[in-house]
Amino acid sequence: MQINEITLEDMLPRVFINEKIPVSEVWNTRLSFRKGNRYRVEAASGGGKSSLCSYIFGTRTDYNGTLYFNNTDIKSLSIPLWQDIRRKNIAYLPQELSLFPELTAWENIQLKNSLTGYADNAKIGQWLDRIGISARKDYPVGKMSIGQQQRVAIIRSICQPFDFILLDEPVSHLDAENNRIATEIIEEEASKNGAGIISTSVGNPLQLSDPVILSL
Amino acid sequence: MNQSLISRLLYKNTSVARIAGFILSNFLGLAIVLGGLQFYTDARSIWEDDESFIHSDYLVINKRVTSQNTFNGQSSSFSEEDLSDISSQPWMKRLAPFSTAGYKIYASIDQGGKGISTNMFFESIPDSFVDVASSQWGWREGSNEIPVIISKDYLSLYNFGFAASAGLPQMSEGFMSGIPLKLTLRSNDGLRTLQFNGRIAGYSNRLNTILVPQEFMDWSNRELGSENIQDPSRIIVEVSSPGDVAIKEYLDTKDWEIAGDKTNASASFLLKVVIGIILAIGVVITLLSLFILLLSISLLMEKNRDRLHRLLMLGYGLQATGRPYRIIAIGSSLIALALAIAATFILRSFYIDALTGLGATPGNLWFTVCTGALLTLLIILLNLFSIRKKILRAWRI
Repeated sequence: MQINEITLEDMLPRVFINEKIPVSEVWNTRLSFRKGNRYRVEAASGGGKSSLCSYIFGTRTDYNGTLYFNNTDIKSLSIPLWQDIRRKNIAYLPQELSLFPELTAWENIQLKNSLTGYADNAKIGQWLDRIGISARKDYPVGKMSIGQQQRVAIIRSICQPFDFILLDEPVSHLDAENNRIATEIIEEEASKNGAGIISTSVGNPLQLSDPVILSL
Repeated sequence: MNQSLISRLLYKNTSVARIAGFILSNFLGLAIVLGGLQFYTDARSIWEDDESFIHSDYLVINKRVTSQNTFNGQSSSFSEEDLSDISSQPWMKRLAPFSTAGYKIYASIDQGGKGISTNMFFESIPDSFVDVASSQWGWREGSNEIPVIISKDYLSLYNFGFAASAGLPQMSEGFMSGIPLKLTLRSNDGLRTLQFNGRIAGYSNRLNTILVPQEFMDWSNRELGSENIQDPSRIIVEVSSPGDVAIKEYLDTKDWEIAGDKTNASASFLLKVVIGIILAIGVVITLLSLFILLLSISLLMEKNRDRLHRLLMLGYGLQATGRPYRIIAIGSSLIALALAIAATFILRSFYIDALTGLGATPGNLWFTVCTGALLTLLIILLNLFSIRKKILRAWRI
């Protein structure tokens, strides 16, 4: 299976149903994310960007309307198929990072990588070097700063093949230089996979080149 | 590497005390169930002989013979009123009187020149009360061979009493069955004589008689018998539970007795009741232990729900995320089962010598072991089901 297009049709988070919301380029309309393109979804806090990511990743279904992978309504996907998609088609960096604080940075990354067998240790070592946390790789993640944790989570999210990568405020705690490096690594991997990038932001966006900008 | 990482994550919050509590209670419950079952299996042969001709729910009843019967000529046979009275008892299922032959019978065995002959008698009960394959039992007019079932006591009398004193060889059941038995039937007026070959179809502990098929009895009585049919002196009844105390009370008030009652039905009944109570206690404890395990694993998974959810988000499947919990469920259940089986064996080693001393034939162990395995399987399956349900619940946020 390959996901070429993620389509939202008349989608609206259920919490918004009785609220008056400003005109949106995402909700209550038809929108397709295409493989190979770069998207930046901008929103004020509470606009539903994390919800959007959770919907696409299948962890939440509290929306009206329909979400399609290619032409398949994602509510019809079985759990084994979802697990396959999460290993091969969609990479996801959630805003809350979902790291395991008791494990070290290296173990957190291996937990994903040993499942996909995607990158070898040398490759992961290079990424950690570039993003500046190789000295901390044997530290428990729980003892790191949020910015460091974000960098660990970024590396973990690219340890798999993907058609799309969902990044929910991936660099909110990174300085400009680390933002640049993270963007570079993510774009490299996306290009290698011919993948689409969907990144959300409330203020400190990923410095993607030429993104389609959508406001929620 | 990743399975050990997953185990490290998902075994977090495991309460060793709760798991140990389950193992202990499950062990206790299973040990009581298995120990009780094994004891019953081993001890039942004391009360229940493996009588194969007469089902254990059938009782042979006769009136007690007293000196009054002898000197006053009072009959010990059952009257119509007696029969209708016993028929109306709640524990009665069905009843049949013994039919008696109204003619004289001589049996002779010819064994290499040395022969014995004796006066005999026949009785019969309806074939439906006799548990012998129909190819071995029954008779059709014109057949020269009559199957008979004799009391085991007769063989003992012959072997240990008669044969020893008369210088005749002792005979096993199988050998005796192969010997041609010549039966001469003569009417009471001495006018008619019939010749038949007898074949011993079996030996019975519970029938103190010589039993022939009902068809033969009816036919021969017509051919030879006098017309006056006597009231039966013995009846066979099928009861719902032979150990029922009500039966014993009824028979005592009537001063009737159960013939060949070496099986001590009330002791067997008591054994069943006691074992039943023990098994019920064991089953209740086992069920409680099942809930302990279900609850401990549920609680553990609830505490680790966030970790489960994160692993599922990484792409781990139901198999990998459930494994640590399945290991707890299967491992601890198997440990408890192994301990319970071991305890049963140890318990058995304490009583088995005493039981064999009482004349028991020890039963086999498979039934007990299989019951334990079955209960454990049930506990494991219910837990696997619950584990799967919990993981599915961690699937969505």
